[in-house]
Amino acid sequence: MAHPSQLGFQDAASPVMEELLHFHDHALMIVFLISTLVLYIIVAMVSTKLTNKYILDSQEIEIIWTVLPAVILILIALPSLRILYLMDEINDPHLTIKAMGHQWYWSYEYTDYEDLGFDSYMIPTQDLAPGQFRLLEADHRMVVPVESPIRILISAEDVLHSWAVPALGIKMDAVPGRLNQTAFITSRPGVFYGQCSEICGANHSFMPIVVEAVPLEHFESWSSLMLEDA
Amino acid sequence: MIMAGEEEDRQKGFRMLGILDVKTPCAREAVLHGAGGAVVSGLIHFLTTSRVRRSFDVGFAGFMLTTLGSWWYCRTGRARLLVQQRVLQDGLKNKVAFEGTSRDPGTKTPRDPGQLGPPETMNTRDPQSP
Repeated sequence: MAHPSQLGFQDAASPVMEELLHFHDHALMIVFLISTLVLYIIVAMVSTKLTNKYILDSQEIEIIWTVLPAVILILIALPSLRILYLMDEINDPHLTIKAMGHQWYWSYEYTDYEDLGFDSYMIPTQDLAPGQFRLLEADHRMVVPVESPIRILISAEDVLHSWAVPALGIKMDAVPGRLNQTAFITSRPGVFYGQCSEICGANHSFMPIVVEAVPLEHFESWSSLMLEDA
Repeated sequence: MIMAGEEEDRQKGFRMLGILDVKTPCAREAVLHGAGGAVVSGLIHFLTTSRVRRSFDVGFAGFMLTTLGSWWYCRTGRARLLVQQRVLQDGLKNKVAFEGTSRDPGTKTPRDPGQLGPPETMNTRDPQSP
């Protein structure tokens, strides 16, 4: 989860998010160098005593400042497009989960084998146990097996919502009447937090998403337990 | 993904403008190499030409090129190591999963790819026979 006053991304918990982090570092370094160059040119222009009122054109510098930005854009666009298509790949998922947005909670359905479904409400601040995170904890987590490709189908029952988990690099709109699909693999076990990312009413800020990645045997025992309780 | 030996490097970021902690891998080394390249190239140019402003320009160009070069070299090396790490992890996982079966990558005896049991030449002869 995010720590207080964090500016950067959270640590990646999926291969796609790792790629996004690497691309961000790449683009940020280019942006940093361009900004430094612009700052240097500004200082040089302001501090020079040289003035020339008679230059009308200069082919060399025109070529440089046309070709160089094009090259820089290509250097940014190629990795960006690669990741864009990588994010659309869905390779033989082991499990399909439906996430439905409601005002103001999420519900999850695991219907591959048995009919397992449950709602996930935010734990109110006054009911938090010591060590739990304010506005992020939910009473029922979406549990998934670690290192397994998971397909998630996202929709909504009433208004627009958005299912987002930054550590997994996922954000997908939940649109009523539409089924959006995305997939992810969790690289490591853990608990990953997210929040609804589309304004949906008074309690938009109070419908968090909690994904818990566990080893397969723990997932099996969790799902058996949930089916018994249902 | 944290690579082996990288946990100490993750602590070694640098502070930009006094408030921003930059912990991007390879960033600190790239900026330091760039600063070194700037000083060296600017100094050499000044010592040979005695032109101050142009030496600053050359030093800045040296900074840009050295930073970019160091950054790309470090990142491509890191990406290569990450790929190797992933391949090793998959190999270890496969070894654990298939150990003792015909798909064990450690056994040298040729086997039918569809056969999961041990190959016929290993410990399958009749103990009664000489």
